[in-house]
Amino acid sequence: MFEQGAHTHRREDRPHLSAVSGIDPDTPESLLHRAALGDEDAFAMLYDRTAPRVYGLCLRIVRDPAQAEEVVQEAMVEVWRTATRFDERRGSAKAWITTIAHRKAVDRVRSAQAAGDRERRVAAESVEVEYDQVAEAAEGRLEHRQVRRCLKTLTELQRQAVTLAYYGGHTYGQVATLLDAPVPTVKSRIRDGLIKLRDCLEAAR
Amino acid sequence: MSTDDHALIGAWALDAVDPDERDRIQGHLDSCASCAQEADEMRETVARLADSTHADPPMRLRATVLARVHHTRQEAPATRAPEPERPDTRAARSRAARLSQRRGPRPAMGHRRLRLALGAAGLAVAAAFAGVFATWSLLPRTAPTESDRVSAVLAAPDAEVAFTGAEGGGSVTVISSAGLDQAVVVVSGLPDTGADRAYQVWAVEGATPVSAGVMNPGDSSATMLIDGTSGIEVIAVTEEPAGGSPTPTLPLVADVPLDA
Repeated sequence: MFEQGAHTHRREDRPHLSAVSGIDPDTPESLLHRAALGDEDAFAMLYDRTAPRVYGLCLRIVRDPAQAEEVVQEAMVEVWRTATRFDERRGSAKAWITTIAHRKAVDRVRSAQAAGDRERRVAAESVEVEYDQVAEAAEGRLEHRQVRRCLKTLTELQRQAVTLAYYGGHTYGQVATLLDAPVPTVKSRIRDGLIKLRDCLEAAR
Repeated sequence: MSTDDHALIGAWALDAVDPDERDRIQGHLDSCASCAQEADEMRETVARLADSTHADPPMRLRATVLARVHHTRQEAPATRAPEPERPDTRAARSRAARLSQRRGPRPAMGHRRLRLALGAAGLAVAAAFAGVFATWSLLPRTAPTESDRVSAVLAAPDAEVAFTGAEGGGSVTVISSAGLDQAVVVVSGLPDTGADRAYQVWAVEGATPVSAGVMNPGDSSATMLIDGTSGIEVIAVTEEPAGGSPTPTLPLVADVPLDA
């Protein structure tokens, strides 16, 4: 079980800007609630807390920095727009925001695939540098180490299926093609892998 | 509930299902409380995968997001009081609402003008701007001090932000300070021009457009500083042959009016 509360709050993203760190005891949840009441300053603080995470995720998925920016814009405006619907009982603010951003990024990648997007192929050449920067920025974070360690507890097929789906933005059917594995197998490996990941992260708390 | 749908909860939590399956699973979760709880836990777990992807976003993104937020109406809370729904996990919302969510919010079109406090937080990351200037082929001044001067505009107590969505996607944001007589123009995510075309930024005073700079061919995003903004009524962007043109080629891609 995932229990919400103090653990989640303690593990929230560190404020990314030195100018705001240490002076703000607000949790992402309370900031989101204030944003839901129309408080733009609270939303700005929430942005500062979560933008590196959201931008990094979008960049990882869409790869092209300009497109990643657009996706972050869409996602953060969506967070503001639907903040009124956030329910803390059902999950953390961080997960809620991440979910919105991931969905937006995946939708962008799939529509680009459908359109045979040429821009992404061109951009791919310049991606490696950005990619290294992403990895570097994440390095040394406790959460990152936990996730990496827990991913190692999965079987190879489970790990590949989960990461290709999440970071690659592929459907489970596409993952099956990429791994040359039967679709039902991939479907169940994804679920098994996530359950194992959940239990490992839970134990790491 | 069908076993088949339930087996898809993992793939659903990873956004690894197609739109039909997504709808079907949301319907399934809506009718099965214990499944919804499992799904919530899956989502929470999946979100941890983003722990390893942090990266510093460009400074201009903050100003653009906050400007758009200022002009975006928030949804009403869910009417069924005890069960405020969570986006993407409930089929309870109407199909129309789902569709609008899939498309994403409409970018604010037309001319917007607002005051925006750009505080210490903005100043702290303004250094991130430094790299952006390399994207400009023509700069009004030499590069070394650009970053500091942009920071000064962003941190100015009288900084004002004007924002417009461009036809075809992307946006142009102008952060101006009357006191400093300077403005920062942030061009973001305009449509791809191809390698033989480029966007050009114009400062329009009276009937006279003066080129403020030409972006590198094919670039769709850039940031620049403009000196001597008093008297400038409009910042406009056009698409031109690579290298730019002496006069703007219509139609305008975007125009942002400034208060004189």
